[in-house]
Amino acid sequence: MAVAEAIPVGQELPALVKELSQRRIDAYSGVRPRSIHSDEAWAREKGFRTTLAQGMMSTAYVSEMMTRLLGAGFVKGGTLSIAFIKPVYAGDRLTVHGVVRETRPEGAGMRVVVEVWCENQGGEKTAVGSASGLAPSP
Amino acid sequence: MSEFPKLTYDILTVGEEFVSDTHLVTPEDIETYAFAVDDHHPWFSGPSPFGGPVAHPTLLGNQALHLRHGKYIVHAGLHAKMEFNFLEPVEPGMRVRSRGRVIDKYERRGRQYMVTEFVTEDEAGTALVRGQFTQMLIPEGTRHGSR
Repeated sequence: MAVAEAIPVGQELPALVKELSQRRIDAYSGVRPRSIHSDEAWAREKGFRTTLAQGMMSTAYVSEMMTRLLGAGFVKGGTLSIAFIKPVYAGDRLTVHGVVRETRPEGAGMRVVVEVWCENQGGEKTAVGSASGLAPSP
Repeated sequence: MSEFPKLTYDILTVGEEFVSDTHLVTPEDIETYAFAVDDHHPWFSGPSPFGGPVAHPTLLGNQALHLRHGKYIVHAGLHAKMEFNFLEPVEPGMRVRSRGRVIDKYERRGRQYMVTEFVTEDEAGTALVRGQFTQMLIPEGTRHGSR
């Protein structure tokens, strides 16, 4: 079965769960003073309860979800548009969701458009947006 | 010698441009990124449909996001929106550079934002990633507070 045939509109993608440890945040953002990502005292001074993960980490999670779905058609030809609506803190656990909203012909293949969002362990949405990529035609 | 003024909403000009240094993408970069985001897809360290290994599509996002740090001292900020268009795979061994241009700045509900469009290219000038991002400025002496 061609990939495009196997991706019906409305399909819910397998969720990803990510644990946001300080160690992973440090590896992502680097460690430096006066950074809301790695300096807890500075983050508190700026009004946050502890250090924050970069919003960009959530784009990486969505990218992983889309690469699992579409493979090379996301690595080359993929798009991603995300709004970061709530801080993600060190120690949070995010669940990344995706639902296929549209498929449309593009070139020799089909563009698959997915609504995506991330939720923290409290069920609050932290990021919302969409992503797309190319699937081979039937 | 360059001076690095403090970034403020007033000093920022729509139309001003940024450019990063050139960065060699190494297997260690990709391995570190894989740990950071807990994504160890086999294409990142072995054969892929593009031949050899490729990087996570979002690997170079921080090179673009940090463009303003090459010109200003940035007190603090938050990332509000991000858009990527992945045009070509990023591969280890590439020497990559990002260029950006401020396309908007605005104030909303007492907060200040800047919008930057960017392109990340390899050493031949081939565009690998295009996109734009919106960053909130947290002025010196202020607190953002939890939302």
